[in-house]
Amino acid sequence: MFFDRPIRLALAGLFPLLVTTGWADDNIFDKTVAPLLAAHCLECHAGPNPKGGLDLSTLQGATRGGKTGPAVTPGNLKQSLLWSRIVKGEMPPKAPLVGTARNTIRRWIMTGARWGSDPIDRFRFTSPSRAGYNWWSLQPLNDAHPPAVKHAAWIRSDLDRFILDRLERAGLAPAPPASPRALIRRLTIDLTGLPPDPATVAKFIADPSEAAYTTLVDSLLASPHYGQRWGRHWLDVVRFGESNGFERNAPRTTFWHYRDWVIDALNQDMPYDEFARLQVSGDLTLPGTRGAAAAGFLVAGVHNTVVGGSKRMKLLARQDELEELVGTVGQTFLGLTINCARCHDHKFDPIPTIEYYRMISALDGVAHGEREITQPQAAAQQASLQQQITQAQKHLRLIETRARRAVLATRKTKPTPPGERDRPRPIANWDFDIDLRDSIGSLHGRAIGGAKLENGALVVNGQGAYVQTERLKLPLIEKTLEAWVILDNLQQRGGGAISVQTPGGLIFDAIVFGEREPQRWMAGSNGFVRTKSFSGPGEEQATSRAVHLAITYKADGTITGYRDGQPYGKPYKTGFQRYAAGQAELIFGLRHAPAGGNKFLAARILKASLYNKALSSAAVAASAGRESGFVSEKKLLAAMSPLERKQRRKLKSDLLALEARNRELAKTARTKIYTVAPRQPGAMRVHVRGSVTDYGETVRPGGISAVPGLAADFKISADAPDRPRREQLAKWITAKTNALFVRVIVNRVWHYHFGQGLVTTPSDFGFNGGYPSHPGLLEWLAARLQDDKYRLKALHRRIVLSSVYRQSSRLNPKALERDAENRLLWRFSPRRVEAEVLRDAILSVSGQLNTKRGGPGFVDVSIIPNNGTTYYEPIDKEDPALNRRTVYRFSPRGGRSAVLDTFDCPDPSSAAPRRGVTTTPLQALSLLNNAFVLRMADHAARRIQKKAGPGADAQIHYAWQLAIQRSPDPREVQLSLTLVKKYGLSSLCRALFNTNDFIIIE
Amino acid sequence: MNSLNSSAPQFDRRQLLKWGSQGLVATAVAQLLQQDSPAQSPGFLPRARRAIQISLVGGMSHVDSFDYKPELARNHGKSLQTKETPDIFFGKVGLLRKHDWDFHQRGNSGLWISEMFPQIATMADELTLLRSMVSDSANHTPALFFLNSGFGANGFPSTGSWISYGLGNESESLPTFVVLPDGRGGPNGGASNWSSAFLPAQHQGVVFAGGDRPVRDLFPARPLPSGADAAVRTFLAALNQRNRDNKEQDSLLAARIRSYELAASMQVSVPEASDLSSEPKHLQSLYGLDNPRTADCGSRCLLGRRLLERGVRFVQVYSGGPIAGSPRASWDAHESVRSNHGLEASRIDQPVAALLKDLKQRGMLDDTLVLFTTEFGRTPFAQSAANAVGPGRDHNRYGFSGWLAGAGVKRGFSYGSTDDVGWKAVENPMPWHDFHATLLHLFGIDHTRLTYYHNGIQRRLTNVHGEVHTGILS
Repeated sequence: MFFDRPIRLALAGLFPLLVTTGWADDNIFDKTVAPLLAAHCLECHAGPNPKGGLDLSTLQGATRGGKTGPAVTPGNLKQSLLWSRIVKGEMPPKAPLVGTARNTIRRWIMTGARWGSDPIDRFRFTSPSRAGYNWWSLQPLNDAHPPAVKHAAWIRSDLDRFILDRLERAGLAPAPPASPRALIRRLTIDLTGLPPDPATVAKFIADPSEAAYTTLVDSLLASPHYGQRWGRHWLDVVRFGESNGFERNAPRTTFWHYRDWVIDALNQDMPYDEFARLQVSGDLTLPGTRGAAAAGFLVAGVHNTVVGGSKRMKLLARQDELEELVGTVGQTFLGLTINCARCHDHKFDPIPTIEYYRMISALDGVAHGEREITQPQAAAQQASLQQQITQAQKHLRLIETRARRAVLATRKTKPTPPGERDRPRPIANWDFDIDLRDSIGSLHGRAIGGAKLENGALVVNGQGAYVQTERLKLPLIEKTLEAWVILDNLQQRGGGAISVQTPGGLIFDAIVFGEREPQRWMAGSNGFVRTKSFSGPGEEQATSRAVHLAITYKADGTITGYRDGQPYGKPYKTGFQRYAAGQAELIFGLRHAPAGGNKFLAARILKASLYNKALSSAAVAASAGRESGFVSEKKLLAAMSPLERKQRRKLKSDLLALEARNRELAKTARTKIYTVAPRQPGAMRVHVRGSVTDYGETVRPGGISAVPGLAADFKISADAPDRPRREQLAKWITAKTNALFVRVIVNRVWHYHFGQGLVTTPSDFGFNGGYPSHPGLLEWLAARLQDDKYRLKALHRRIVLSSVYRQSSRLNPKALERDAENRLLWRFSPRRVEAEVLRDAILSVSGQLNTKRGGPGFVDVSIIPNNGTTYYEPIDKEDPALNRRTVYRFSPRGGRSAVLDTFDCPDPSSAAPRRGVTTTPLQALSLLNNAFVLRMADHAARRIQKKAGPGADAQIHYAWQLAIQRSPDPREVQLSLTLVKKYGLSSLCRALFNTNDFIIIE
Repeated sequence: MNSLNSSAPQFDRRQLLKWGSQGLVATAVAQLLQQDSPAQSPGFLPRARRAIQISLVGGMSHVDSFDYKPELARNHGKSLQTKETPDIFFGKVGLLRKHDWDFHQRGNSGLWISEMFPQIATMADELTLLRSMVSDSANHTPALFFLNSGFGANGFPSTGSWISYGLGNESESLPTFVVLPDGRGGPNGGASNWSSAFLPAQHQGVVFAGGDRPVRDLFPARPLPSGADAAVRTFLAALNQRNRDNKEQDSLLAARIRSYELAASMQVSVPEASDLSSEPKHLQSLYGLDNPRTADCGSRCLLGRRLLERGVRFVQVYSGGPIAGSPRASWDAHESVRSNHGLEASRIDQPVAALLKDLKQRGMLDDTLVLFTTEFGRTPFAQSAANAVGPGRDHNRYGFSGWLAGAGVKRGFSYGSTDDVGWKAVENPMPWHDFHATLLHLFGIDHTRLTYYHNGIQRRLTNVHGEVHTGILS
C-alpha cells in the first residue's frame, strides 16, 4: 500500500524507537562516525569490488582512498576527499548529508580521524535506511511488566492492561462490551470458521455469564473445526498449493497429507516449537507418514518441472527453488526476508549474502518429489501377518492336496477316454496344484498382487492378482494356448486367462473374456491387430463349472477357438505374430502388461498348457477330455476326515480374517506422499551477484547471525549429509532463546483474532515491516507462550477471554479521528469474513455441510491436461462430496473457483500472511448469481420449512436466526414477508446470504 | 494523517466511494490515495490512457518477420561462429537459416517488414519496431511470466493488474483489466498470466468469453421467476438503508452498498460492450469476422476496441494457446517456421491491422497504446543436426522483436538492433523490466513509485530493475 510507510513512520513517532543501546565499547568512532559511514557510504564503498576503488570500511582503505585520491587525511579537511564530496553535496549521491551528521564527520577528521573497530561492521547499527543488529525484533525477549491503569474495572487479565494503558495515554476509552449475540457469533467464527447454531446462541443470550463464556471458549477450542479453521490460516502462510505451477502445473494428488497433518497438529495442540521442527526436518526425525507429511511444508511451493536443456537453465532453476524455499522458511518462522540477500547483502536487514548461502546450504538436501513411505510399525505387523498367512495356506493346501489326490486316485482306475492316444504334448504345463511351477519345462511362475493357490487352482481376483512366468528360451512360432477356467462372474469384461506376451506386454496373444463382446471369449492381441470375433455363443456355465478353452495360431494367420474341445464359433484369418527366443513369457489372470485397468480376470485357473504348434481339432478334443484335476467341493469334503474338515473350516476362516487385516495394513503400511525427496546436498558456494557461473567461497551450513539465540554456525562440514543440516537448522530456528521465533507466532495469532497484528506485517519483522503497536504486550505474550510450553490453545484462551477481545465494534468518532486504523484497539474492528468462511457458512446454514474430515480433497475443478499444460476449470454440480469444508478443497495453482477468488481467497502461488480484503461489484454478482449460492438457498429454504413448520412468520424468524443469528424487527419481518409471499423462502435465503449481517463479523 | 478521517462523514457518499486500492473504499484513505496516486508522478506526462496488448505465445521468429538480416541470408548454410554454448531449449544448433519470407521496405518510413504480415506492413508508418528485446529465460512459461509480470515464476501481479492498481477505473461498470484468450485454449500457465497475485482481487484480469454471459456470474445461474431478482435487490437496499440509518457510517458497510449498485450497472454495460453485431458490416469485414481463419482473432480485436472505448484500461489479446502438442496451436515453430508461422500469422495479420486502422480512424490511437509482443524470438540457426539446415528454429532469448503503436511513441520508427545474423541484441537491449518501465512511463507512472507491500518487500512490476527507453518516445 502507498500509505503503509507513512503510517509506519507516524507510528515510529508515536512509540519510542525500539533500539537498544549501550554497547560495551565506548569508542566515540564506533558510536558516532561508524554508524554514519555504514548508513550512508558502505552500501557502495565496501566489499571486494568497491565503487571508485574506495573502501571506507577500513582505516587503511579510507586513508589510501580510491582512484581520485585519499578520502580521509587526519586533521586535514582540505586533503580529505570524503569531506569535500560531502560539502559539495555530491555524496552520498541521492540524499546528501546535512546538519549534525555533517558536523560529526567534520569534527572527526579535524580531531585526527581516530578509527575504532576495523573493519566497520555495517550491520551493527540501525540507521535511517537499514536495520542493524540492534534492531528491535532481533533482541532477546524482554518480558514486560503489565502497566498500571486508571480504569481498573475494565481489566480482566494482564493482557488488558497493556491495551488500556495505551488508550488512556491517548485519551481514549475502550468501546462497551459486545452484545452476547455479536460476541458468540464473533467467537464461533473466529475459532471454528462456522457460524453458531441458533440453539447455542439462544442459550448464550439467556446466560451470557463469565462461566458460560469460558465454557463456550473451551468447547470451541476442543472442536475439530478449530484445526480446520486455524489450519487454513497456516496454509495461507506456507503457500500450500496442490499443483506444481509453471508450464505443466501437474496436480499433486498426494499432497493432502500435509494439510491433514497441520489440522491434526493444531487440534492436538502440538507445541508450536515442535510444530515448526517437524516441518523443517520431520521426514528425517520422525519415521513414517507423519514426519514425511509434516516436511511437506518445505515443498509446498511451486516447482518447475520443465527447466530446459541447458546447464545454465538447470542451475538457475535449482537456485530459484532454493530462494523460494529459504524465503518461505525465513518469513514463516522468523519474519525475515532472507531471500533478499541472494544477489547482494540485504538492503534493509543485517543479512549478508554469505549467510544467505549458509542457510540455503542447510536446506540443500530438499528436493520436490513423491515418496512411498513405509510406516515402520505397520510394515513389521504386515510381515508377521504375511508369515501367518503363508503358514495357514500351506497347512490348508496339505489337507486339500491329500483329499484331492485321494479322489483323483479313484478316477485313474477308470478307462482311458477316447482319443487319449492323440493327446498332444505341451512344451509347458501348469497344474497349479501345490505351486506355480511348470511341470514340463522351466517356465515357472511367480505370484504378483496377491495371486494364490487354493484347492488345486490358481485364484486371481480381478483386482491386481496375476502370475508371470520365466521367459521362453526358444522362439515361439505356431502355438496353442490352453486353460481350464472357472469364472467368478459373467459380467466381467476384458480379463485374460492365459496370455503369451513380449516382456512389458507390447505384443501379446491371449484368451480373453468379454472384452469386446459381453460374455464372449476371444483371441486378444495388441491393438486388436489379430483379434476378430469368433461369433461364438455367450458363456453361461463357466461360473458353475470348469470350462476348457483353447486357441490355436497357425503360421498362415488362421486363429481357431475351442471351448470344451469343440470349435468355438468360426475360425478367422489375420496377421501372424512370432515371438523371438527369450522374448516371450506367459501370464495368467492378466490380459497383458502393464498391469491395470480392465485387464484382470476374476477366476480360478485350474490348469494351463502351452504348445509350440497349432493343435488339430482332434488333438484339442483329446486334451479337453483330460481331467483338469478339478475336484468339486462336495467330493473333496467327502474325502476328508472329520478332523480335517474341522481344521480346514477353521483355517479358511482364519485366512479370511488375516487377509482382511493385511489389506487394511497395506493401506497404511505404504503411503504415497508428496514431500521432500531425498537428495544428496552439495558443498554450497557463494554465487557472486546470484550468478550461476561466477562462484565465490564455499560455505558451511548455518543460520543468520543477527537472529538471537543459538550460534549461526552449525559446526558441520560443507559437504555434510542432509540430516545434520536440517536437524541443526530446526534446532536453531526453534531455540528457546530465539525471541524472534516466538514473537512472530504470537503476532500471527493476534493478527487472525483481531484482523490486524500488533505488528501489521506478520511475515516481516525486519526494517520494511511495521513496529509493534504495543511492544510490551508482544513481549509479554511471547513470554507467556513459552511459559505455556508453546501451546497455542493457551494463547487463544488468553486472547479471547480478555476484555479487549470482548469489546463491541461500535464506532467512536473521536477515536476514529485519532486512530482510524484502530491500532490502539479502541473497538473490535468489524470485518468481512474470508471466502472460505463465507462458503462454509452458506453450506452450514443450508444444512448441507459435509463434515467428513481428512483424506484427499474434494475436487471442484475439471482437470484438463492439454498438450503438456494442465488447466483447471471451476465446475459446479450438486454433489454432497463437494460440500465439505473449504479447507478440504483440492487447491491447484491457477485453479480458483468463482465465489472464492472474488472474495480474496489467495492463489497458492505465493504466501499470503495477510489477505487482501476488497469490496467489489464482482463479489455482489457472484454472491447473488452463482449456481452454488442459488442451490444452497433452495436447500436452506427446505430446511427451514421442515424445522419451522408451515407458518410464514415462523419460517421468517427461523431463517433469520439460522443465517444471521438474530430476529428481524417488525419492519424487517414486513420486508421479508413481501419477498417470501411473492418469490418464496428461497429468495429470502438468497437475500440473507447477501446481507451485511451475514458477511460481516462485528 | 489519521486525523483526516474526521471529515469523512461530511462527504457525499458517491464522491467518496471511489475505486481505491482495496476495492470500494469510503474513508479518507481514498482521498489520500488520490492525492498520493502514483499515476501523478511528478514530471511524468501521461501519454497513454489505455492499452491493448497482442500477445503471441510460443515465440515469434524475428528474423522472419520484423528484423531483416541480409547477412543471415548470405551466410545461409554456414555455421554460427561462436564458442559459447547457446542457452536454447533443445540444444541442437544447426546451420544458419535465411528468412522464409521476403522483406520489403514499407510506407514512407521505409521500415523493413516481411511478407509474413502483409496487412500489418501497410501500417508500418504507425509502428515503433523494437528490434532489441531480450529475456531472462528461453523456457516458455517462465518467459511468458517475465513478459507479463517481470518475474519468472507464478505469484506476481501481471502488467494489466499493476496498471489497474496504478490508475484505477475509468468505467465503474466494467473491469479495468480484460483478457481475451485464443479460441483454441489458454496460454501455458493459464490464469496465472493475468493474476493480480498479491494485489487486491479487483485488479485480476477478467476473462470475457463469448455468448450472452460474457462474464462469470453476471446473471443468475438459472432462470428465476420474473421480478425475483429485483425483489431481492429491493429487500437488500431497504435493509442496507436501515443499517445506515441505525449506525454510524462505517466504510465497510457503505462500500458494500455501493458494490451492489455497481453490480446492477455491470449487468447492463457488459452485454452491451460485448455485442459485436451492433458494429457496421464493413467494420466486421475489416476485422475479418466473415473469414473462418481470422474470425477468432478478429472478433477479439474488435471486442478489445469496444472495451477500450468504454473505459477498460488494459486489454490482452492472446495469439496462441497451449504450448506443446501436435499440430501446434501456438508460435512455437520447432518443426517448421514456414508452415507454423504461415498459419499463425494468417490468423492475426488482418485483425491486428484492422485494429490499428480502426483506432486511428477514431482518433483513439493518440491516447491508446497497442503492444505487439512475444515471450522470446527464434534462433537464426536451424534446430537440426550441426551440419544441416532444418526447417525449424529453437527459442532465442538473446534478441527478438516486438512493436508498439499509438500514444506517446514514435511513428514509422525502428529502435535497437541485433547482430548481423539476428542472434543477440547489440544496440539498446531492452529486457522486460525496461519494457515495463517504459510502458508505465507512457501511462505517466514512475515505475519505481508504483509499489505494493507484500511479504516484507515493496514489490514493483520492474523488481529492482528497469530503465525507461526515452529513445522511442515521441
